[in-house]
Amino acid sequence: MKKRVIALAVSAAMVLSMLTACGGSTTETQAPATDAPAATEAPAADGGADETTAAPADVDYGSGEITIWVAENVQSFTDEQVAAFMEANPQYAGYTVRTEPVGEGDAANNMITDVEGGADIFGFAQDQLARLVSAGALMPITGDYATFVAEQNDAGAAGAAKMGDTTFAFPMTSDNGYFLYYDKSVVTDPSSLDAIVADCEAAGKSFYMEINSGWYQPAFFFGAGCTLTYDSDDMGNFTNCNIDYATDKGLTALKAIINLHKSPAFVNGSSLSSATNVGAIVDGTWDSGAAQDLFGDNYACAKLPTVTVDGTTFQLGGFGGFKLIGIKPQTDANKMAVCLALAQYLSSADVQIARYKAAGWGPSNLTAQQSEDVKADVALSALAEQLALTIPQGQYPNDYWSLATSLGDTVIAGEYDNATDDELMAVLQEFETTCKSYAGQ
Amino acid sequence: MEKKQSSGVFGKVSAFFKGIVANLAEIGTTFIEGDWKTKVSYVIMGFGPLMRKQFLRGAAFLAIEIGFIYYMVAFGAHYLKDITTLGTQGRGFNPDGTVRYGDNSFLILLFGLLSIVLILVFIIVWRMNISENRREEKRLKEGKPLPTVKHDIMSLLDEKFGLTLLAIPTLGIFVFVVLPIIFMICIAFTNYDANHQAPAQLFTWVGLENFKNLFSFGTTGFGGTFITILIWTLIWAFFATFLNYFMGMAVAILINKKGIKFKKLWRTILVMTIAVPQFVSLLYVSKMFAADGLVNAYLMKWGIIKSAIPFWTNATMAKILIIVINLWVGIPYVMLVCTGLLMNIPEDLYESARIDGANPLQMFIKITLPYMLFVTGPFLLTQFTGNLNNFNVIYLLSGGGPQHMKLVGGAGYTDLLVTWLYKMTINDTNYKMAAVIGIMVFAVTAVVSLVVYSILPSVRDEEGFQ
Amino acid sequence: MKEQKLHMQHRKLTNGIAYAVLILISAIWLFPFVCLVLQSFRSYTEGNGGMVNYLLPKKFSLDSYKFLFGPDSQFFKWYGNTLIIASFVAIFQTIFILAVSYALSRFRFKGRQLLMRFWLILGMFPGFLSMICLYFLLKQFGLTQAGAVPGLILVGFASSGMGYYVCKGYFDTIPKSLDEAARIDGANRAQIFAILLLPLSKPIVIYTALVAFMAPWCDYIFASYIAFGYSNSYNVAVAMYRWVNTNDYQGYFTRFCAGGILIAVPITILFMCLQKYYVEGVTGGAVKG
Repeated sequence: MKKRVIALAVSAAMVLSMLTACGGSTTETQAPATDAPAATEAPAADGGADETTAAPADVDYGSGEITIWVAENVQSFTDEQVAAFMEANPQYAGYTVRTEPVGEGDAANNMITDVEGGADIFGFAQDQLARLVSAGALMPITGDYATFVAEQNDAGAAGAAKMGDTTFAFPMTSDNGYFLYYDKSVVTDPSSLDAIVADCEAAGKSFYMEINSGWYQPAFFFGAGCTLTYDSDDMGNFTNCNIDYATDKGLTALKAIINLHKSPAFVNGSSLSSATNVGAIVDGTWDSGAAQDLFGDNYACAKLPTVTVDGTTFQLGGFGGFKLIGIKPQTDANKMAVCLALAQYLSSADVQIARYKAAGWGPSNLTAQQSEDVKADVALSALAEQLALTIPQGQYPNDYWSLATSLGDTVIAGEYDNATDDELMAVLQEFETTCKSYAGQ
Repeated sequence: MEKKQSSGVFGKVSAFFKGIVANLAEIGTTFIEGDWKTKVSYVIMGFGPLMRKQFLRGAAFLAIEIGFIYYMVAFGAHYLKDITTLGTQGRGFNPDGTVRYGDNSFLILLFGLLSIVLILVFIIVWRMNISENRREEKRLKEGKPLPTVKHDIMSLLDEKFGLTLLAIPTLGIFVFVVLPIIFMICIAFTNYDANHQAPAQLFTWVGLENFKNLFSFGTTGFGGTFITILIWTLIWAFFATFLNYFMGMAVAILINKKGIKFKKLWRTILVMTIAVPQFVSLLYVSKMFAADGLVNAYLMKWGIIKSAIPFWTNATMAKILIIVINLWVGIPYVMLVCTGLLMNIPEDLYESARIDGANPLQMFIKITLPYMLFVTGPFLLTQFTGNLNNFNVIYLLSGGGPQHMKLVGGAGYTDLLVTWLYKMTINDTNYKMAAVIGIMVFAVTAVVSLVVYSILPSVRDEEGFQ
Repeated sequence: MKEQKLHMQHRKLTNGIAYAVLILISAIWLFPFVCLVLQSFRSYTEGNGGMVNYLLPKKFSLDSYKFLFGPDSQFFKWYGNTLIIASFVAIFQTIFILAVSYALSRFRFKGRQLLMRFWLILGMFPGFLSMICLYFLLKQFGLTQAGAVPGLILVGFASSGMGYYVCKGYFDTIPKSLDEAARIDGANRAQIFAILLLPLSKPIVIYTALVAFMAPWCDYIFASYIAFGYSNSYNVAVAMYRWVNTNDYQGYFTRFCAGGILIAVPITILFMCLQKYYVEGVTGGAVKG
């Protein structure tokens, strides 16, 4: 017994000292900063963006570290831009900026795990916005910065940065859409899905499209004229679901998906680097480099094709999506000002053009979109053509993506191959009901 | 052991309460009969032992009390006071745009629980402090000397050496296993999900709401999906365990066979699956069987099939393939375990059987199998429970897919309960349901284990195997 | 004589079949590794380092390895992190497990059965649920992200006492009469443990250390949870898993294969050298559980 006493004493004392030693750090964050100076909003942007971020040099911005998460393929680009920014703004010299390669999908998951431990500024795909807002990982962008977002970017991008009426991020690209890459020697007529698939079958090549993804799947549904959007409040909650999948239009779309899956040339997928034997692939601009290497002289791009089901022909549509830069809520007003200025700079026209040149990311900034280089890009023009046929991607509950995968997987498993119209309609009805349930309907 | 079990739950409960009453009585009598040193020890722990020159013990008690009070004042009490509500003050923004964090439900729950546990531990230590005083007084009254500090230390290395060894590992298990488990059990009774995440939003207690959801069978209820996945989890664990076991044993017998050369080489080849990290080997194997993977490509090239075999997209095929690939993963390990054991079987058993005219199959069934089943019983059990939670194989091979319209919560047909709950936490931040499923995983594992455990002869008879 | 000859022939035949089966099994078991090796030597220009649907590279090259060893990659930083984590975890975990196993095998104290059953039950809770909780516990001590390497070491061994089954089983097979004899000679239990029991337990010590050493090489989930956002703290599994699972990484498949080989080769060699002890440890211990 006595030894147990001692053992316990030693061990408990250890736990206690360890815990108490660290107690301070949590209480710190509780301290409200109500009386911090209110005059920290940097004068912002009405015109050419980066020069206007300069604030009076005599304000003391203090010091600290700012972490930025960006995709790995633009990390060194971001480093250069940050260096340029710091050089142009000596008043922020107290801050050191560290960039980390964190993919856009991981960034959202990591921010949600622990907001405090996450990056100050991070890039993410816009479908994560609702999750991030409801997890409190984004600070609202107000005042002149919000005006900058609204005025400088295309309407879709500006809308995509909003939840309800509040702006939460700076748009960085409007190229998060998809279109068709194909091999000219295989596909002769890229305007019709049936022809493309037939060509691929004949050449023994594969046609890739990720029909079990909630992102690619609407190409069919929206193309056939269906709607699926959600309304949300500015807390990240979904209030209403507008959907009409369980209609004749939806039925046509679903049948088109099923027909596609039946082709032996069809492969479910959208990542060029894990695809083999590609004849054509529905994919985005991020794979343009890989596609050029792969197809060589036969490299070609086009908007998505039309598809014919039961005599009805419709053009495939889909989403036009965006990449955004967000800032996590800050407790220090000075650091917040620096973060805002930096994030705005990273989404400004010049940087967007530079980013296009460095990594091929299509700009969301109106000025940048007009630049000659951007206009001359094959992949981006195909995308632009396709984007004219799409709706700007709004916010969707996380469950929707998973539900769409379920629908796609069920099609791919062949369960609807011989289904009647009534059975398919029942499936769509269930899909619709479930989608509505995510908005509490 | 047997006798204790037979006394039944009721007996245990009444014994528990009797124990509490007896303890309270002793605390009282110690106070009344004790000298002033003992009485002071009720407030200042370790005072008695220190005054009686029991420095090590006294200092330990005192240190615990000081540490405990310091912890509660500086850290614990702050969280403990909010544990019933998990916080009331939400997050807001200041006029200048900076954030004003309110209560963090997550940390309140976590450190509130820690505080509660530490209070319980403190009460136990306080109780020990009283017994220590009583014991010392008794010894002094009887005229016996108290153990010296040196003796205390020496006994830590001798008759109490076991406790010395256990102290730190037990502490580690408490902080890194027990506390998180208590925490997660509590989460099952809250509404902690994507819409209630700390630090931006508060979550709070909701009682049995989540359990109701698990057993609701509507379109969005989890009931049907849960049953489907549970059944597959059990089927998987059964096949993964026993197929591996018998085939692994067969391979071991094959390699052990007389006249087979290069035994070490064969074993080494198999053992490579253990040495190469699964996230490399299994990911590669998974891609091999993809619709556009190596296997399909060659089969098509050789004209054996016309269109790709849907290895991963057809639920039944995916399930079979996973079990088959798991043979590749599991056989080497079973083979290693069996190799040594097979050599332990006395050769004369086989010899006499051979004289009786038994063929190899009969010998296997009559001699090898009963022996192996007896000695590897516990191994089989741990394999089975391990397979119930075999995350890697499923997650890396199929990712749980294919999903289906009939399954909710992002579940797929090859998901185990454990991969499902992982997806729920990572993709959907649905901690409340994940916690409920975690409790169910526990329940299933515990039931299976306890049933098997109680019938295994080699476990019951712990001492008899030396 | 004739019968014996017949017997010989029979044995030759069965051995022939046995060899055939063994060769077939070996081929199946080695096939994925052969593929991995071949892919790791595929030239980057061929399929852009992505997936291909044929086995033999058309052009062999060291592109992938050059990348891993080159300045563009932090591979060796990650490799080093993993090596550090694995070494420390192996040392501490072995100490913990030996301590717990000795205590549970040789001491009969009140609550021993209860403790063993309690730990058995604890093991039945799925560990993933604890991840977020452990993250915030470690964060209190500053052991996440920048401090993730020590954090992962701590988590790696702190609760390892629960995995005492195999080791205790092994200790149980060492006769207690040896202990008694040593006690008569005046040794205390600590001395018995250190001087008598440990030298007899070489196989199980090696087995325990080997198992502990290998775990961190495969930890791609928990480590990514603890180290997120700090690529300097990644272990090799986290970093490589991202190459094939995050969309930003195009053309990393052959590099992934090469990295896999670089991890697998040392561990396989270690395994081959210590296989004898591993087998002895696992057979001595696993059966008793």
